[in-house]
Amino acid sequence: MTNDQIPNPKSQIRNPKPETRTEPGRSVRNQITVALTGQPNVGKSTVFNLLTGLSQHVGNWPGKTIEQKTGTYHHNGITVQIVDLPGTYSLTANSLEEQIARDYIIKEKPDVVVAIVNAAALERSLYLVAELLELSVPVVLGLNMTDVAEQQRMYIEPHVLEAALCLPVVPMVASKNQGMRELVEAVDRLASDPDSYDPRRPGIREDHQAVLAHLQKIIAEQVPEPYPENWVALKLLEGDREITRIMQERLSPEKWEQVHSILMKHEDAILAVAGARYEWIGRMVRAALVRPTFGQVTLTDRVDRYATHPFWGLLVLVGILGLVFWLTYTVGAPLQELLDTYLVQAGAEWVRSALSGAPVWLVGLLADGVIGGAGMVVTFLPILIIFFATLGLLEDVGYMARAAYVMDRFMHLMGLHGKSFLPLFLGFGCNVPAVMGARVVEGQQARLLTILVAPLVPCTARMAVVAVLAPIFFGRHAALVSWGLIGLSLVMLAIVGIALHELVLGGEHVAFIMELPLYHLPNARTIGLSVWQRSVAFLKKAGSIILIVSVVVWALSVLPGGEIESSYLAGMGRLLSPLGKLMGLGWRMMVALLTSFVAKENTIATLGVLYSTGEEGARLADTLSGVLTPAAALAFLAMQMLFIPCVAVVATIRQETGSWRWTAFNIALLLVLSFSVGIAIYQGAVLVGWGV
Amino acid sequence: MLQRLLELVAEGGLRSCADLARELGVSEGLVGQMIEDLARMGYLRPVADGCETQCAGCPLAETCAIGSPTRVWALTEKGQLPDART
Repeated sequence: MTNDQIPNPKSQIRNPKPETRTEPGRSVRNQITVALTGQPNVGKSTVFNLLTGLSQHVGNWPGKTIEQKTGTYHHNGITVQIVDLPGTYSLTANSLEEQIARDYIIKEKPDVVVAIVNAAALERSLYLVAELLELSVPVVLGLNMTDVAEQQRMYIEPHVLEAALCLPVVPMVASKNQGMRELVEAVDRLASDPDSYDPRRPGIREDHQAVLAHLQKIIAEQVPEPYPENWVALKLLEGDREITRIMQERLSPEKWEQVHSILMKHEDAILAVAGARYEWIGRMVRAALVRPTFGQVTLTDRVDRYATHPFWGLLVLVGILGLVFWLTYTVGAPLQELLDTYLVQAGAEWVRSALSGAPVWLVGLLADGVIGGAGMVVTFLPILIIFFATLGLLEDVGYMARAAYVMDRFMHLMGLHGKSFLPLFLGFGCNVPAVMGARVVEGQQARLLTILVAPLVPCTARMAVVAVLAPIFFGRHAALVSWGLIGLSLVMLAIVGIALHELVLGGEHVAFIMELPLYHLPNARTIGLSVWQRSVAFLKKAGSIILIVSVVVWALSVLPGGEIESSYLAGMGRLLSPLGKLMGLGWRMMVALLTSFVAKENTIATLGVLYSTGEEGARLADTLSGVLTPAAALAFLAMQMLFIPCVAVVATIRQETGSWRWTAFNIALLLVLSFSVGIAIYQGAVLVGWGV
Repeated sequence: MLQRLLELVAEGGLRSCADLARELGVSEGLVGQMIEDLARMGYLRPVADGCETQCAGCPLAETCAIGSPTRVWALTEKGQLPDART
């Protein structure tokens, strides 16, 4: 057993014979009162139990339902009565606990207050101490849980802290009964020589010292016992409700008017008072705490030096996005092709042979409409799973918050509303929550701007369409093309944002803070669960809305005569032909684009229906790759990215803006934008002679 | 220090706690505590407490690829101190 371990403190501390002490300079008393304070969960109860043992008395605080614990111990002939105050984070009288603790210290004036603080969370614990020091009672600091702090590689030097605070500091591990004797002795020393107590107090910020002094002068000799005058002046400036009420009752109307006008003039003085406490905490901790040199915290710091850097952070984000696409193409695209061959083509073949005797329309409906359309969309699944898994992984390790942080800076540079980043970022998943999320944006105009640009965020459905079509048209350059298309969407978003910002908003100033979580190892279960939920939701969509649209598109493509070239759909498509020609696109591609209005994936479903050749083993990829020139394919994909969002998003825009006018404006804006970009790309390519 | 924090936030854009901690020369923990205090005093306002508030009521929440596990605070009108800008 080490010297500072006492298994039963009472047996060692207790001295049954009270002595009369006659040391010079020390007050001679047989009984003192000590109040025990601290925040919840700092080991205060353990200290109380160790000190008082079986001598505890449990009751309620007078007139309150909160438990009051008292007890005694004896040391050096003195009976020490311990009062365990409720655990509180501060003494601002916000809660009943804080009120009780504060009233007790002020009104009962214990001889010593022992403040137990958690060494592992020293900064958090010190706020209460800062407030205690503003009162006149002597304080001993019990620096508890030093073992936990050391485990976290936080080393506190008690003597340095003691010198900085100018009050007794006792390092202890109450759970192991270490440091109790030293605590008892420190209390004893301070109680018998209270005049020596002169701690370094937080005070108030310099620019408010004069007003504090002025206030104190006005209320001088009017402050009721036992409140200290300087403390009351400080609390008035802080806007403390109870003290304000007491002083309003106490002061003459003229004096109160004087006080009131000062308080009105300095209503932000609370920042100067509380701010000074934080400065004081910062100074104390800087002096006494040796920070960890390695570990999780610094790993996050080190990674964030790049991940959240205005320039490098953007590069990291772009790199990660590129990596996600590379992974999707190298792993997901071959799987998608396999599914296309063995599920869609083989399935259609099987239907044709199994139903050889059935009516032609039924075979067509099932083989071309259902399997060719909705079935084709199901082959997206491997691509989406990889996409969901990588996004889930990035989210789980804590990177997504950084991506949002970097994105915001990037958007902010271009004049976009800073606070819009959250809803817009949600848009990468689906534009519907992006439009809905615009509710968090303050100000009607800012909210409107966020809603209007939200459809330009490339959602997973659009990206999946690109993920399927880009390899067909651009082979090994697919990742680069997809990457460029996302870049294009974001640049367009920025341009539209800047234009609308200038026209509608006029440079509103917005600011906010974001808490970036620590990076941590990913949890396979969390990621798996999110991939599962999202995949199931996707399959449900494929089985419902996409299936219906596929069947409708198929029906329109065979009615009335059974020939696609003379069908209703062809008729509608040909209306768009003049526009399509400007982009090198035939009517089938224009119809595919139009059907994406119902759901983005329908582009693929429609192409699946319209390019079903009925030939054995003919995959959509083989048929499509010969249909478009690279220039037209690029124009088509760019339009696909910028085209009006799906009907769910449009409905949400109507609901959130509450205006058909703005909804129509948004649709018109996106139509003009997508067709202009498509035409510009194709005509530009024709002009330079590329890919035609 | 609280006023300085509000000044830094009022400069505009998005600030992370780590960023503020570096500028104020304190730990991120203390910045977190100050933010909570400022929110209690009405100078800051929590914008989104992670997914619960952000996605509540959204019918497509389960298909949404990106949740928001982070906490965000905005300056309130009171937080845009006239003397904090000087």
